[in-house]
Amino acid sequence: MKDFFSKYGVWILALAAAIAVLLSVLSYFTSTSTVLHNAAGIVTSPFRFVSETVNRWVEDKTHYYQNYNDLLAENAALREEVAELRANARQADRDREENKLLREVAGLREQRRDFEFESAMILERSANNWTRTLTLNQGTNHGVAVKNVVVTSEGYLIGVVTEVGLNWCTVQTIIDTDTELGALLFRTGDVVMAEGDFTLMRDKRLKVTYLPADTPLLVGDFVVTSGLGGYYPSNIVIGTVERVEVDDNGLAQYAVLAPMCDFDLLTEVFIIKNFDIVE
Amino acid sequence: MLTRRDLIIKWSSYGVAALLLTFLLRLTLGGITVFGVTMFLPPLLVGVVASLEDVRPAVIFGLVVGVLCDLTITGTFPCIYTLAFTLAALCCCQLAKSVLQPGLLCSFAVTALTFLFVDTLNILALWLKSRAAFLPMASLALRETAVSCLLLPVCHPVLRLLHRKFTL
Repeated sequence: MKDFFSKYGVWILALAAAIAVLLSVLSYFTSTSTVLHNAAGIVTSPFRFVSETVNRWVEDKTHYYQNYNDLLAENAALREEVAELRANARQADRDREENKLLREVAGLREQRRDFEFESAMILERSANNWTRTLTLNQGTNHGVAVKNVVVTSEGYLIGVVTEVGLNWCTVQTIIDTDTELGALLFRTGDVVMAEGDFTLMRDKRLKVTYLPADTPLLVGDFVVTSGLGGYYPSNIVIGTVERVEVDDNGLAQYAVLAPMCDFDLLTEVFIIKNFDIVE
Repeated sequence: MLTRRDLIIKWSSYGVAALLLTFLLRLTLGGITVFGVTMFLPPLLVGVVASLEDVRPAVIFGLVVGVLCDLTITGTFPCIYTLAFTLAALCCCQLAKSVLQPGLLCSFAVTALTFLFVDTLNILALWLKSRAAFLPMASLALRETAVSCLLLPVCHPVLRLLHRKFTL
């Protein structure tokens, strides 16, 4: 040890400290990704793609016959749900017509939700066990930017782009501990906060805090993005309430939220590059 | 005494072996979780190489792997691997030189030590950011270390072979 410090050791450790500071500073001040991160992302993209494709193929083959009985049960349940949704859709058509008529009478602008989507494939899931991120194969060359929202093909929220390179971007999923999103309880319209929690992350859950004291939550209540501040589109489903628990200090309640998608089964996702919503 | 050319070939071989092992791990066990965690190879590579080599090259190797990890993996804070791997390499090298003879047992010890550095920083970062509960984090750190050590019987012989080839 003495030899190490008496020769070049101190300089090597000083170099390590300088690099660490540099990485931190660059990461803090850049709005997309640093030059080094960008280059590393571009170089590793093909390898990430190959390994993800192989893993996905093996998983598909493994589960091909394994889940047959589960699929039969799910199919029966989905048939019932489709029938119920068709009835709701017929009612919604009538309501939409009525709503349009009333808006014309009241002189209100027509409601619309215009999204500009970019489809993307998942190149990699979290490479370590302490964060929950996804790496996608679209970047600045397709107009993707930091804070773009990422959703499933059904429109359920997956996460937010936190870093973007030329042909890749990193998405912080909603179960990651760094996640904090303004949200709404869909049934009551109360504004709450959806945030990642380390203890819940393993079970692929997140929590909803700042619950209103006078509003009883029901299991299955939808929680959607609030859209307040204009950063993210409103009314994108984050998940459903699974249970309500009391905080460690015993003073406040929080709800455990189950996301609408299984992050391990996703292969293709959609990035919302731009949106224009009139409500 | 190795010539400059031999040194370049030796460290390039370590680099290629590390990249190949990482890629093969992703290809074969990338989607597999054991006890809720996936295997994490970089600390193992840093620890084993540090236990086999002299302190100065070992620390530089730790530094380089750390920087590469920080550039390619989203960590709990931006320079976590640079700091953890550099310090871990220094300590692993001392442990292997003064307490344990390099071997499989030593590799287990240095791998655990490297994970201790990385996970301590992870725990600190998460505690400072979100006051996350300590027990679940400690549990994750233990499971991650245990599961990743399962890779040692594969990685240790490869790195040991390279070391012997260029040293003896």
